Amino acid sequence: MEWFAHKWDIIDQLTPFLLQGLWTTFKISIVAIFFGSILGFVLGVLKTLQIYPLEKLINTYLHLLRGSPYLVQLYIVYFVFPSFNISWLNFDSFTAAVVSLSLYTSSYVTEIVASAIFAVPTGQSEASRSVGMTKAQAYRYVILPQALKMTIPPMASVYVIVIKSTAVLSVIGIAELTRQGEVAIMRMPGDIMFIYSLIAIFYFFYCFPVLRFSKWAETRFGSIGIDLK
Amino acid sequence: MGWLQSVFNFRIVSQYWEVFAQGIVNTILISAVCLVLSLSFGILVALGRRSSNPLIWRPLAVYIQAIRSTPLLIQIYLIYYGLPALLPFGNFLNETQTGIIALTIHTTPYMGEIIRAGLESVHRGQIEGALSVGMTPRQTMTNVVLPQAIANVVPPLLGQTAVLIKDTSLLSIIAVFELMGAGLRMFSETVIATESYVTTAVCYLAIYAMMLGLSGLVQRKLGGSAWQEN
Repeated sequence: MEWFAHKWDIIDQLTPFLLQGLWTTFKISIVAIFFGSILGFVLGVLKTLQIYPLEKLINTYLHLLRGSPYLVQLYIVYFVFPSFNISWLNFDSFTAAVVSLSLYTSSYVTEIVASAIFAVPTGQSEASRSVGMTKAQAYRYVILPQALKMTIPPMASVYVIVIKSTAVLSVIGIAELTRQGEVAIMRMPGDIMFIYSLIAIFYFFYCFPVLRFSKWAETRFGSIGIDLK
Repeated sequence: MGWLQSVFNFRIVSQYWEVFAQGIVNTILISAVCLVLSLSFGILVALGRRSSNPLIWRPLAVYIQAIRSTPLLIQIYLIYYGLPALLPFGNFLNETQTGIIALTIHTTPYMGEIIRAGLESVHRGQIEGALSVGMTPRQTMTNVVLPQAIANVVPPLLGQTAVLIKDTSLLSIIAVFELMGAGLRMFSETVIATESYVTTAVCYLAIYAMMLGLSGLVQRKLGGSAWQEN
């Protein structure tokens, strides 16, 4: 009983502190998925235009971001970019976090948008061209509305990936959920396991509904065969 | 060549080549061990998940969702600090062994779901057809189901392996010496960020390029679709 009271005391004390961290996690993940989606959308559409050098360039960009761990990318944005001696690349930790996470997100979004556009039957674009639409009109009125609907389920999965990646930001001292937990552990080192479990539960209740939504959206909007986890 | 020295100092990097070589070797070894372990357990998870016994599939479903919905870093911390308390021999495990256990626990559900999807991807008509032309269930399994299932499973498995290799970088946070650890050591000793971290990234990209080449080879052999990235 005393054990239970002690743990309840910890929960009571730490919840507001950890919620603060969760709020930062929420903010960073929303900003990152916003910018990452814009960049990814543009690159994804450009990739489907099938202009050879452009496609190669975008593929190289994707391989660079997919081939290295996010931790390394974060260190490069935070520690290496300032050494270029360009003032606007001299990020503080929050900007570095958002920039690196947005770039990382964009690599997923590009792939999703391109796959969704390719998943629209070619008859659709041929038909719209043959009724006299320009290529841009065909994209704007026929292809993109159909494709974007199909991106909803995998985009929800990407959002979960972004949330989970924010945990890595604790290494550059962003006060998000994991970092707040580590600070709490410095105050209560005896309850290290309990506090980490508490953080895991916070993440779970944040990510799980989004994953369920993704699964539901797949039955609602159809799958394009990209299975992100 | 002076300008090049000021942008990227190869001389310092070359002093650390042994550290990075050791890092690459460790990263590949850790990934290989985790791959074998998580594939083996993944098959069990996939089979268990298909079981009709709720005592088997319900706990597995909870395990899969719990792993998917929490960050790897938290899972690593939980195993790193929790294992010594939970297991009688936990204190005898070093960081690398703990890291391998954590990564295996993390990767197993992903592997399991890929294998399950592969088994389910073989159309029922294929099995019915094979049985109706007089194949035994075993022949159906080895000649019809498995060849198709493996062809469907290998591309996403390769993608997941690439993710696993990248995930090993997080083990550097619990002081496992691998590629990321090599970069961190070089940075802590020389305090030059560009050379340390760009070299680390290049090494990871080299491993990734090898994976891409391997998947191209497998793809030609299987004649299946391109690898799926996760």
